Amino acid sequence: MSLAFLSTQGAVEGVVAPLASSPMERVARAAGAQFVFRAGWNVAASYGSAQREREACAEAVGWVDLSHVGKLEVQGAPDQLVALGSELAGREVAAAGGGATPIGSGWWCPMAATRVLVLLPPGGGDELRETIAEALPRLAPSASLVDLTSALASLVIVGPRAREVIARFCALDLRPAASQVGSFHPGSVARTPGGILHEGPDRFRLLFGSALGEYLWTVVADAAEQFGGRPVGDEVLMEIDRETDGTSAHA
Amino acid sequence: MRLAQQPGERIDRSRRIKFSFDGRSVEAHPGDTIASALLAGEQRVLSRSFKYHRPRGELCFSGRCAHSMMDVDGWPGARACSELVREGLRVQHINAWPSLRFDVMRATDLFGGPFTPPGFYYKTFIRPRRLWPVYEKVLRNAAGLARLRPAQDEREWRTEYRRRHCDVLVIGGGVAGLQAAIAAARSGADVVLADEDLEPGGRLLVEGAHEEARDLVRTAREAGVEVLEGAAALGFFDGLVPVWQGSTLHQVRAARHIAATGTVEQSLVFPDNDLPGVMLSGGARRAAALYGVAPGAAVLVAATSDSGLDDALALYRAGVRVVAVADLRDAPDSADLAQQLGAAGIELISGSTVVRAAGRGGVSEAVTARVDERGVARSGTTKRHECDVIAVGGGEVPASSLLLQAGAHATYDERSGRFVAGELPPSVHAAGSVVGHESAAAAAASGSVAGLEAALALGIGGSEVEQQLAEARERLVAAGGPGRVAVAPALATDGRRGGKAFVDLDEDVTAKDIAYAVDEGFSSIELAKRYTTVTMGPSQGRFSQLPSARLIAKATGLSLGEIGMTTARPPWVTVPLGALAGRPFEPAKRSSIHGCHRDLGATVRWAGDWRRAYDYGDPQGEALAVQQTAGLIDVSTLGKLIVAGPDAGAFLDRLYPNRLSNLAPNRIRYGVLTSEAGRITDDGTVCRLDENSFLVTTTSSGAGAVEQWFSWWLATWDMDVRLTDVTQGLAAVNLAGPKAREILSSLTDLDCSAEGFPYLHARQGTVAGVPCLAMRIGFVGEVGYELHFPAAYGEHLWGAIMEAGREHGIRPFGMEPQRILRLQKLHVIVGQDTDSESLPAAAGMPWIVKLDKEEDFIGRWALELAADRVPESKLVGFTTANGHVPTEGAVIVRDGVAAGQVTSSRYAPKLDRVIGMAWVPTDLAVDDAQVQISDAGRILEARVTTRPFYDPEGEVLRS
Amino acid sequence: MSYVLTCPNCGTREVTDFAFGGEVTERPTERPTPRELNTYVYFRRNVAGRQREWWCHRSGCRSWFLAERDTRTQEVFWTALPGDAPPADEVTS
Repeated sequence: MSLAFLSTQGAVEGVVAPLASSPMERVARAAGAQFVFRAGWNVAASYGSAQREREACAEAVGWVDLSHVGKLEVQGAPDQLVALGSELAGREVAAAGGGATPIGSGWWCPMAATRVLVLLPPGGGDELRETIAEALPRLAPSASLVDLTSALASLVIVGPRAREVIARFCALDLRPAASQVGSFHPGSVARTPGGILHEGPDRFRLLFGSALGEYLWTVVADAAEQFGGRPVGDEVLMEIDRETDGTSAHA
Repeated sequence: MRLAQQPGERIDRSRRIKFSFDGRSVEAHPGDTIASALLAGEQRVLSRSFKYHRPRGELCFSGRCAHSMMDVDGWPGARACSELVREGLRVQHINAWPSLRFDVMRATDLFGGPFTPPGFYYKTFIRPRRLWPVYEKVLRNAAGLARLRPAQDEREWRTEYRRRHCDVLVIGGGVAGLQAAIAAARSGADVVLADEDLEPGGRLLVEGAHEEARDLVRTAREAGVEVLEGAAALGFFDGLVPVWQGSTLHQVRAARHIAATGTVEQSLVFPDNDLPGVMLSGGARRAAALYGVAPGAAVLVAATSDSGLDDALALYRAGVRVVAVADLRDAPDSADLAQQLGAAGIELISGSTVVRAAGRGGVSEAVTARVDERGVARSGTTKRHECDVIAVGGGEVPASSLLLQAGAHATYDERSGRFVAGELPPSVHAAGSVVGHESAAAAAASGSVAGLEAALALGIGGSEVEQQLAEARERLVAAGGPGRVAVAPALATDGRRGGKAFVDLDEDVTAKDIAYAVDEGFSSIELAKRYTTVTMGPSQGRFSQLPSARLIAKATGLSLGEIGMTTARPPWVTVPLGALAGRPFEPAKRSSIHGCHRDLGATVRWAGDWRRAYDYGDPQGEALAVQQTAGLIDVSTLGKLIVAGPDAGAFLDRLYPNRLSNLAPNRIRYGVLTSEAGRITDDGTVCRLDENSFLVTTTSSGAGAVEQWFSWWLATWDMDVRLTDVTQGLAAVNLAGPKAREILSSLTDLDCSAEGFPYLHARQGTVAGVPCLAMRIGFVGEVGYELHFPAAYGEHLWGAIMEAGREHGIRPFGMEPQRILRLQKLHVIVGQDTDSESLPAAAGMPWIVKLDKEEDFIGRWALELAADRVPESKLVGFTTANGHVPTEGAVIVRDGVAAGQVTSSRYAPKLDRVIGMAWVPTDLAVDDAQVQISDAGRILEARVTTRPFYDPEGEVLRS
Repeated sequence: MSYVLTCPNCGTREVTDFAFGGEVTERPTERPTPRELNTYVYFRRNVAGRQREWWCHRSGCRSWFLAERDTRTQEVFWTALPGDAPPADEVTS
């Protein structure tokens, strides 16, 4: 495929194993992150105390670097995209402005009638990738697919103070009347293009250009510190997901 | 002097704290402001005025007058009458030298009058011109109000920003605002209330109803209102209201706004009305009620409405000796008030006002009289009163600037003698005294009405809301209208000479100044304001709106309604620049390889909104390395667009002046984008990836604009094309130099031989295990490979290439050496060597325009017209003889006249010459022509060349 | 300028989320005279009143859309994707 150079899927392990890094890897390391090699990526799995990280998520606010999670952009005719999305999600998906639909623990996020951002599951998106690769030519034959995993960075902000933290640097209206679980808000985040996915109760996934990784981490950490916030590893986040599975929006 | 404990006072008498004022220790209670503590200690003079350096005392007791500006712990501009005392605070006066008691600059008051009339800077200090530096120094030292700390980090501080969306924003927490907030919140709205005072309650706090105020605040909070105290709304910006609280700026966007901002008391104009001891009557009342401080030993009250009489009685009951009340009206509205004054033994002088204040360094006597229609005292009605305070009430002006900024209009209501804001825009409501509902009952009812109307307009709450609204409207009608206000004379005087009558105390503008300005022709309020600077001081004309309008009306013969009010501008209160412009963090883009540059000790600079490696400490050595061994540069900032779809090629043909649809797969072409005027807007490369997709690169700073340009045309054309911006998704590096081929070969299975991978070809494969698009293009003039790969592998691939190149002498190189190298090849940098008027033919690339293309393309018509004309100037290269590198931007001169411009210039180490690019007249745009550069006062001789300085045929590049 | 605009895809946002694309102009359909070309390239009606104009949600969905706005008061009458926009009024204020 001639767009293979955009995706980490084509990496080849040879003498030197290529290591895919999040743009926030260095600042995370400086904050005490301990890394684990997952599916070719160096992932900040913990920050030294799972208990403190859990407490932050439950009582204050925590932020988690999920930049390694796969992101795909699908562009095509509106009806074809709806057909594709609905099959992947197992239910009718909305058009742009109608919110995002879960696909397992991934998300189908319409940006416009002809463009959708697919977020793959954090645990490993290979299965969904294959499903999409199979379904695309069948349901959306004239659609195109571009891997944006490296193009967009992602921070999940979770906890009872999440909205207050976000209000320090983002003008999006996330009040309960304006945003529910599944709402998708493309728009400026900390004065840079991006968007926020309301992916769970008191849980928001920020998406933004990967070149702004270090900047956004600094902004979020600064805003969250006054509320007792701390960085959280993806191990704790996956634990929380497993515990809430069945009661979470992904059901 | 302290009074007996007052109900509702803010001070805690059980504790004492100390602070220093001008080095002197002063005692205070917690809850005191600096001004109340000083006044309690008999310190009447707080500052010296702006121009004349006359002693000034407390005026408003609400934190708005400029009189009380002081330096508090090194911070200038604090208002003593609202700044709370803290233990150990160091307070200094401002604007007086050597001391508050004796100020040298008072000379301007005594002698300098003729030199400083209004607009004096247009008339005086002009000749002789050679003394301008002297004048500047003197004026600079004389002007200004305080000193900033010199060190930048001592001046910096942190502003918190916080976005708040809500249904209803209530501005003003008096009884009207509180009732409005409660009504809206109880209906179900999400309400924020902002009050600028330390605690909400407005006039309730001063009129002995502080318990009621606290109850209302509690009720509001229980109803779910977010109450912001000490929070001033700065202005109305198309529905966004910034609220400044402490060091936090709340950016509030509400669906409906309710302005319950109250009124501002106006001063009176009479000779020497600026003496310490002259204060607003509401201010005097606040001093007693909130801080238990007597404004003075003997107070004369000058009133124009019942509220002045009420203030006098309140002072009396607080224990202050009130010598008399001069009421401009012939009789009060409320007979009851007259009776109470009589019972208190306070003389009520009807039909009179103050016509002079007298005293040295402070009030010692007030003169009252009946005045005629010119404001001059009628003979035989003059009375002298011994007093040390004159409490004046010159009418109320609604604090309507927020409403006016929102689009309301101010008109003068003759009957009530007030300016009134009307024609409110749909999303804005008003309640309370700002729209004439003065009494507590009327204000409360109007607040409820506004709150319920707002909820109703938002569709919040059920049918009960309509019912409650009807009831509230009835209560409002029953509460009655505002009381009568006598219109004060523009200038009241006893007719004798001497003394200055001030209309604007901040700017030291006198009644005479206004008369002069109108005399000179500045007869509209806006012109007179700018000429005299009236209302332009720190209090922004809070207390001088009506007085200045009255004076202009008197001088011009126009009515107050015809004069109008000056434009209301934000901010409503003084706010530090940092609150408006300070940013904790600047958005910075960094390539995924940036960490490596830091590790290598690169000089990092801004390039647009990217942080980039300018060099690694040795730009010339880095440039040489590229030409001698190999260099590696991070070019991840390049804009990168995937253009895909069946119509992709045709789409590109329409946007570019050359042909791109006929590119074969894995072939690359240089692309220059032109505007509809045929001018160069951006450049880059276009590489065909396969039948239906292209990778387009753009300049780093143009990435966003090009993507928008492409997508806009796509929105108007019906073509099947998909655009995806992958600028940040792909990292890119350029490996260039004689050893580049060898280094790359060691990392990949791709055939990198000259035959296997020619110039302007692309290959896809893995490099150091990373999927990669390799493009053989040249910007730096050597054999080079631009590698595009997923950004996540940035550090990995950079490290692998540096490692593989180590034995060959590879060096990293930054933006600066890159500029030297590209200049050697005469490569244009769009935006530096070209501007918005540059045509391709004039910029040395006529070949990029294919007018024989069948398709219409952007800029075609303009380029066809341009093809027939000879451009006035052309972009060429040049060298200079003497080794001086001309400044970029230096002018090409011909016969002493500007004829072009140097756009780029550098010393090229490999060529050991100074080289550059410049726009020169077309007849000089030929090899070996001589041109002259005017640079920093010298003339440099330069020789033109139209061919690259290095490898002009491109043999090295294509090898 | 601190008003809000409603992106047809994403909803209401601060105006700073968007890039302004200028008033809607008519591109000549055949080769224009020099005067017609200059008018198209450089001249704008610059209406003080209701104006039809282009906006791009550059911070969000990056789509282009049309709007009609009163340039004096910033009141925005409607926003719509190009295909959904009401037909242009020949006589506008």
